[in-house]
Amino acid sequence: MLVDVEQASDANLVVAVARWDEPALAEIYRRHGGAVHSLARRILRSDPPAEEVTQEVFLDLWRNPEKFDAQRGTLRSFLLARTHGKSVDVVRAEESRRRREDRTARETATAAYDIDREVWDMAVAEHVKDALVALPDELRHPIELAYFGGHTYQQVASMLDEPEGTVKSRIRSGLGRLRRNLIERGIEPAGAGL
Amino acid sequence: MDHAEIEELLGVYALDALDPGAAAEVEAHLEGCVRCAVEVAQHHDVAGLLANSGGAAPAGVWTGIAEQLGGTSDQAWGRLAARLDPPGRDRGADSADATVTTTADAGTVGAGAPVVPLGAGIRRRRWVMAGSGLVAAAAAVLALVFGLQVHHLNGQVDALRAGPQLSAAERAALASPSTRRIPLASTASTGARSTPATVVLTAAGTGFLVNDSSGGLSPLPAGRTYQLWGVVGGRAISLGLLGPRPGIVPFSAAGTVPVTGFAVTDEVAGGVVRSANRPVAVGSVRV
Repeated sequence: MLVDVEQASDANLVVAVARWDEPALAEIYRRHGGAVHSLARRILRSDPPAEEVTQEVFLDLWRNPEKFDAQRGTLRSFLLARTHGKSVDVVRAEESRRRREDRTARETATAAYDIDREVWDMAVAEHVKDALVALPDELRHPIELAYFGGHTYQQVASMLDEPEGTVKSRIRSGLGRLRRNLIERGIEPAGAGL
Repeated sequence: MDHAEIEELLGVYALDALDPGAAAEVEAHLEGCVRCAVEVAQHHDVAGLLANSGGAAPAGVWTGIAEQLGGTSDQAWGRLAARLDPPGRDRGADSADATVTTTADAGTVGAGAPVVPLGAGIRRRRWVMAGSGLVAAAAAVLALVFGLQVHHLNGQVDALRAGPQLSAAERAALASPSTRRIPLASTASTGARSTPATVVLTAAGTGFLVNDSSGGLSPLPAGRTYQLWGVVGGRAISLGLLGPRPGIVPFSAAGTVPVTGFAVTDEVAGGVVRSANRPVAVGSVRV
């Protein structure tokens, strides 16, 4: 049985990848490569390392497709989570850390992250933007700094001059609030029914 | 950390904002806590929406990926082969009388080998060829245990042919000379070697797992099940759940790709797509 890759669901494509079906991986790349590369580039702010991370993400899927559990979320969420983790690893590598030491924490916290602009091009950009705007700043800023800045929550706490426990709680509750905001706007994150 | 402390970390964990030590603690907790695992998945979904700025996938990056696919296949095969056929095992196992003293290194079913449905495998030729060597080695393992504790099972298999649960076509298939009986050898490292179960496989692909009713696969506690796996082209695929107290369980192995070996694992109820557990019994289809 050959898989019609263009018609196949993401989950079926992953099954085909498990059979070492290269066209299936190519189709997955066609569908999600742009989002993966875009996120890596945003975090790493440079093309060469972003391309390396993008390659690693898809080669990991090729090597270990069983790590994707279709019942725990969409393939895109899975790939983006892997992308984020790898990108953060790069950011936290020693060289990147040294480069970042030149910046003051306050500058980073207030000037470098404009999440509204960055999500503008999304297919659901308006709704996501609304959901973000509806978040109080004290919930929104820690998420931006941790997710797009690749910082640990302790670093974020230092940047925002807040207790670590407070930042930890605000990130969790901010994500929960954001999820509810998205659902209210008709965007159903994949795991909403779980 | 207790559950409540872990819960507080789920948001920062989902955003990769934890140090590696704390992240490892959270991951260990997630292995056994569905509630927390679901929450992390939900956070990932939300973060994925934030990250989704779209755009076309860069063609140049794909070129780099495609260039490495062949190599990764070989590497993955190497990992699987190492599990199924560990270094040090007698390479002379291709011969029928090769001396193999243990089945304890039979490997972990499915580890590194994603479960795929039968009948649709498109595999590179070199994989199939490499797999045949492993099957031969496994056959040699079976040669040692074959002949032990099989009479009772044979009686059960014969009874199966006359049983009311079969259609006339299935009875005819079982009576066919082409139908194979594949004894499954226990992998237990202690106690006497045993053949706790037999797979009966017709040429059409209909199969039956026949558990030895006088001391075969032991009953499992609540929440556990036996799971049957087939080795196809060197990879383990699930053939179905056998339940906690299997008797005679039918399964289908119909497809274009031959099953070259079988294994039974003890899994959580509901089964798994990829087992991390050592098989309790293994057998090879003689080639």
